[in-house]
Amino acid sequence: MPSHPLRVAVVCSSNQNRSMEAHNILSKRGFDVRSFGTGSHVKLPGPAPDKPNVYDFKTTYEQMYNDLVRKDKELYTQNGILHMLDRNKRIKSKPERFQNCKDKFDLVITCEERVYDQVLEDLNSREQETLQPVHVINVDIQDNHEEATLGAFLICELCQCIQHTDDMENEIDELLQEFEEKSNRPFLHTVCFY
Amino acid sequence: MEFSSEGGETQIPHVVDMTTSEKVVDLLNQAALIPTDEKLTVLKQVQELIINKDPSLLDNFLDEMIAFQTDKSIEVKKFVIGFIEEACKRDNELLLRLIANLNMLLKDESVNVVKKAILTLTQMYKLTLQWLVRSKVVSEMQEACWDLVTQMKEDVLALLDSENDGVRTHSIKFTESLIIALSPRTSDSDVPKRQEGDISLDKVPKDHSYIRYDVLCEEGKTALEKLLKFMVHPAISSINLTTALGSLATIARQRPMFMSEVVQAYETLHANLPPTLAKSQVSSVRKNLKLHLVAVLKHPCSLEFQGQISTLLLDLGMPQNEITRSTPVPREPRKRPRHEQYTEGKKVKMEPTLIEDDEDKEEPAPLSVPKPAALPVAQSAIDLTAEFLHPLLNPENVANLVLISMVYLPDVMPASFQATYTPVESAGTDAQIKHLARLMATQMTAAGIGPGLEQCKAREDEAGKEEGNEDDSVAKDLLIKRKVPAVMLGQAISVVGGYAEKPPSPETPTTVKRLPEPILPTAQTKMTGASGRKKVFRLSDVIQPLSDTQIEKLTSKAVKRILHSEKAIAQSGVSHVRVKLLSRLVTQFEGMMKEDVLEFILEDIRTRSDLAFSLLYQEYNTYLSQLPTGLLDSYDHCLYTMLSGLQEKPEQRDGLFTKLVLEAPIITESALEVIRRYCEDESRVYLGMTTLKELIIKRPSRQFQYLHVLLDLSSHEKEKVRTTALAFLKRMYEKDQLRDYIEKFALNYMQLLVHPNPPSLLFGADKDTEVAAPWTEETVRQCLFLYLSLLPLNHRLVHELASVYTEAIADIKRSVLRAIEQPIRGMGMNSPELLLLVENCPKGAETLVTRCLHILTDKVPPSPELVERVRDLYHKRVPDVRFLIPVINGLEKNEVIQALPKLIKLNPIVVKEVFNRLLGTQHSEGSSSVSPLTPGDLLIALHNIDSTKCDMKSIIKATNLCFGEKNVYTSEVLAVVMQQLMEQNPLPMLLMRTVIQSLTMYPRLGGFVMNILSRLIMKQVWKYPKVWEGFVKCCQRTKPQSFSVLLQLPPAQLTSVFERCPEMREPLLQHVHSFTPHQQAHIPSSIMAVLEANKKPEPKPVEPVVEKEIEPVAATPTSVFREASSAALMEPQIPTHQDPAVLNDERPMEQEESDPVIQEENINIVSQVELARMSKTPSPEPEPAEEPMETSQPEQSDFKEAEKDIEADLTGPVDGSGSEDIE
Repeated sequence: MPSHPLRVAVVCSSNQNRSMEAHNILSKRGFDVRSFGTGSHVKLPGPAPDKPNVYDFKTTYEQMYNDLVRKDKELYTQNGILHMLDRNKRIKSKPERFQNCKDKFDLVITCEERVYDQVLEDLNSREQETLQPVHVINVDIQDNHEEATLGAFLICELCQCIQHTDDMENEIDELLQEFEEKSNRPFLHTVCFY
Repeated sequence: MEFSSEGGETQIPHVVDMTTSEKVVDLLNQAALIPTDEKLTVLKQVQELIINKDPSLLDNFLDEMIAFQTDKSIEVKKFVIGFIEEACKRDNELLLRLIANLNMLLKDESVNVVKKAILTLTQMYKLTLQWLVRSKVVSEMQEACWDLVTQMKEDVLALLDSENDGVRTHSIKFTESLIIALSPRTSDSDVPKRQEGDISLDKVPKDHSYIRYDVLCEEGKTALEKLLKFMVHPAISSINLTTALGSLATIARQRPMFMSEVVQAYETLHANLPPTLAKSQVSSVRKNLKLHLVAVLKHPCSLEFQGQISTLLLDLGMPQNEITRSTPVPREPRKRPRHEQYTEGKKVKMEPTLIEDDEDKEEPAPLSVPKPAALPVAQSAIDLTAEFLHPLLNPENVANLVLISMVYLPDVMPASFQATYTPVESAGTDAQIKHLARLMATQMTAAGIGPGLEQCKAREDEAGKEEGNEDDSVAKDLLIKRKVPAVMLGQAISVVGGYAEKPPSPETPTTVKRLPEPILPTAQTKMTGASGRKKVFRLSDVIQPLSDTQIEKLTSKAVKRILHSEKAIAQSGVSHVRVKLLSRLVTQFEGMMKEDVLEFILEDIRTRSDLAFSLLYQEYNTYLSQLPTGLLDSYDHCLYTMLSGLQEKPEQRDGLFTKLVLEAPIITESALEVIRRYCEDESRVYLGMTTLKELIIKRPSRQFQYLHVLLDLSSHEKEKVRTTALAFLKRMYEKDQLRDYIEKFALNYMQLLVHPNPPSLLFGADKDTEVAAPWTEETVRQCLFLYLSLLPLNHRLVHELASVYTEAIADIKRSVLRAIEQPIRGMGMNSPELLLLVENCPKGAETLVTRCLHILTDKVPPSPELVERVRDLYHKRVPDVRFLIPVINGLEKNEVIQALPKLIKLNPIVVKEVFNRLLGTQHSEGSSSVSPLTPGDLLIALHNIDSTKCDMKSIIKATNLCFGEKNVYTSEVLAVVMQQLMEQNPLPMLLMRTVIQSLTMYPRLGGFVMNILSRLIMKQVWKYPKVWEGFVKCCQRTKPQSFSVLLQLPPAQLTSVFERCPEMREPLLQHVHSFTPHQQAHIPSSIMAVLEANKKPEPKPVEPVVEKEIEPVAATPTSVFREASSAALMEPQIPTHQDPAVLNDERPMEQEESDPVIQEENINIVSQVELARMSKTPSPEPEPAEEPMETSQPEQSDFKEAEKDIEADLTGPVDGSGSEDIE
């Protein structure tokens, strides 16, 4: 086992649904976890597909919650958005943008390929300093509540397995292959350096 | 340094007032005693205090801090590494003291520590270099420090071949950083802000007293080569590959002079993705490649490579517009050479012809020399080949290429292809053909072929020649070296550990100088006491003897590693060494190891037989070397395990078992037991016994031991095992040296039969049979199998059987008799030993001998010798008639007749057999035996048996047997017999019985019988009461045919007839009345008187009436006959058809007329006798007359059925059922 607990970041687009679901579960399982979004803004479904609710990353979950209650409480209760925001605000106050976080992680898990690309781009554009490696793994999760829950469990299992390896860097490749086979979905995986 | 020994709880209030130094002491004291987590916190505090707050303390507490590098916790060790870095950054002088400690940690057993050390070395290397470059005067200490750092650098580079993925990753990053440090920063270099102050080659003065600019430059390039080579390893892990791709991008952007190599490496990689990558890994790698290509593309120096890069990006699926967006606007490219200081490398790469124009004074010669020679080579080789290929790629050639390569396509689409395939949109356009040509050129150059490569080589050689004189030897070496990777790169050959790098600088007097020594921590427990005092290092202080279990574990692990490295060793061709090593190791040490090796061998003994034999011999050798006290236990166990393993494995056809057995130096008891089990396996019995046979023959010293096993198996319960064993034994019996043993065994085994109960020996150990179990057929046979199969080979043995037989109990005798048939027949009746047995016939063995005789004569007639022996035996020694039966056909006629009375008294079955032999009905072949008696003779002989010698009942049964053989006893034979019997004097008692029987069998003999009857009258048949009785009965049954005969009787005898059967009189009278008067006149009055006896009270007057009444009815004799015959229908056994065709039928008629004279003479006498009899015997029934015969039946006839038959026969003529039986 690694001598220190894994520092994990879970990243999705808006730091609302998928990353927060995983954040929730991982922190309950005792991981040192944080969650992020990579989008330029936080987007939540609106009354129509072409009319999303857009916030910037400074807006707290609380504020979003209140905003949506005001706009159409019934709609947002019914589609679970309010419930989600309620959950989120109990985890942390507001969404965070990955690109703005200079903290270091051992493992970054992204929830879709576009996010993975953005994380990679960001990490590679940073100036290298300590050369400490960070592994980035993409687990594709559709952006809805059910898939978010399932995905969160998968991420959790993956993290637990990685946490339990004797030598993470040496075993992660094989571990991911096994996981791919087991879960029958491909994982993109790369390493970057701080 | 003072260390307070105060307790923890009192310390805390003091801390506030303490000086920094005291605080540090206090914290260090705590740190020694607390768990890791807190220790780290405390140590971090110390670090903060002594590095940042009060650096003057750093030197004081350095040793104490460094002492924590021996802490058990990985985190603490990593902290120490971090501390070293910080400390050295704070005070470069500390490098001298700490670099050796870092070196120690670099070789730590924990990969996490090693990784951290590599990361730190990345910084420390630059730091050291910078520090040395700054120092104008370099001390010896500093030199040594640099030497060590250089050595560590090499060590880390070598870690590119580490087994650990993470370590390799770190090593790649180190290499990246090293390459950047050891190459000059140029104006077009991207310089990350943080690294602005970092050392780079351009800051190294060329006149430095110790650091050699050119050497460093070479080292940097070598590192790049290493990295490039590492990247094309076919089995590179995806993470390593990703890391390397990133590193190359960094290098390309920070050192654009290497952009050519980088782009080329990307091209090569793109065309040759490692086959080991999984599908998702291919996607990841391609994503990275794209990312890094874009990063490189964005760099202004990418201009020359934009074509290549954008082609690659297109291939990777990037839209053209995005590519364009990432492409930098060329900004006055022509100016660059003049503007920028360090463009030589770059410029030269792009425009090799500009070398001559290079007038830059600052550019040192050694740097410029390798570049023009080396860099353009790979580049232009591909270019040249691509140019060469381009015109050749016409549709026809391309089609052919496609067709040819079809053959080599794999069955399954590789993951990398699947992931990378994008339909070619611009197919056929010139751009696409160019791209294709370039792709092919890359591959060809990589494979070391193509015109481009050749031209380059030629040019290179020239260049080498030209410049050889000017340059120093290093440059020359480099020229040659550069060629290697060019080929290596493409061929993707991995040279693991084979990188014979020269020490970077030959001048460095590494051997002379002492390298810096690490600060050796004193044991932490002593920290409180003697501070600052250095302890002499003694190995014994720091090492502890391993515990026994540890030792055992380590040894067994070591052996296991050797054991399981089978393939790897085989590939390197030193399998024999491994085998030898293993067998020696294993025999020397006790314990589980042996089991492991044996198990390993048994897993696949076919391919591991080498090891098996080696191990076995080694065990034996050990035993021999310990003689005379040595024990075979270990060897035995080894052999036993291997043999058992083979025995338990199903389906072993390759005879490895045999080989092992035959090549084993000694066969131990337990091994022999396994062989025995192997033989008991029905499917392998043959192989097993062949092996055993080989053992017996080839290991004479113990052959009897092995033979015994085989002998044991000869009475095995499984038939296949037994028969195979017997077959092998028979063959071995022919060998003189084994003969006695086998024979003795067989006889001993047979000797067991004399015991009243089967000895426990006969039962397998697994069968819990009570000792007192009775003999069974099976157990008896068990004792005989071997003996009986030897018997045909050695006839002399037969006497042993006889002697055992006499002593055995009845049950066994029976079983023996059943068992011997086959072997006795095999011996044949000419066997002298067998004849001898018959001759001697031990007392008690009579039944055995008889049985032998029977077996011998069962199918073939007895030989004269045999007959002679039996006759002798019978006459001289054992007058048991049963001996004669088998040879009966070999005896003389009179001998048979003589024996007949005795024979027929035997058991009916036996009698039947005797008759079968005599009558020749026994053998299917029929005529093979010539009986001394004809069937007629036999029947006559039976009639003539003296009734004192044999009871009548047996005789009757015997004759019945004859009559049973209807095929033999035809009417003709019987007629002859009757004829002969009738002529005898006195008449045989059973004559009339035979006559009646014959008549019943053959009714057509009726006429002949009448003839007989008539002649019997002449022989005064009434004088023989039994015969007379039969005579009457016969007449009774043959009426009316017999009437004429009856009329021939004298009156007295006729009276007697009527007394016996009064119902005869009336028909006979009527018969007479039916005669013509003339005929009637011939009938004497005395006869008539007898006939009319009953009518005496009313004699004559009635007579004419009667006569008249009858006359018209009996007008013709034929009508009378008809009447009689119709009346006869009541008694079915009387013949109803009077076939005139039968010759005998005529006679009675003739006789009837010729004989009355004789009849008349006798009448009186007979009537007198009869009258007298009438008064005496009131019952005229024939039965009482026959009763004596019945009562005198012999005791021998124990079969009730036979009795019944006999009774039926006797009563048959009366009630008719008997005739049916006979028929």
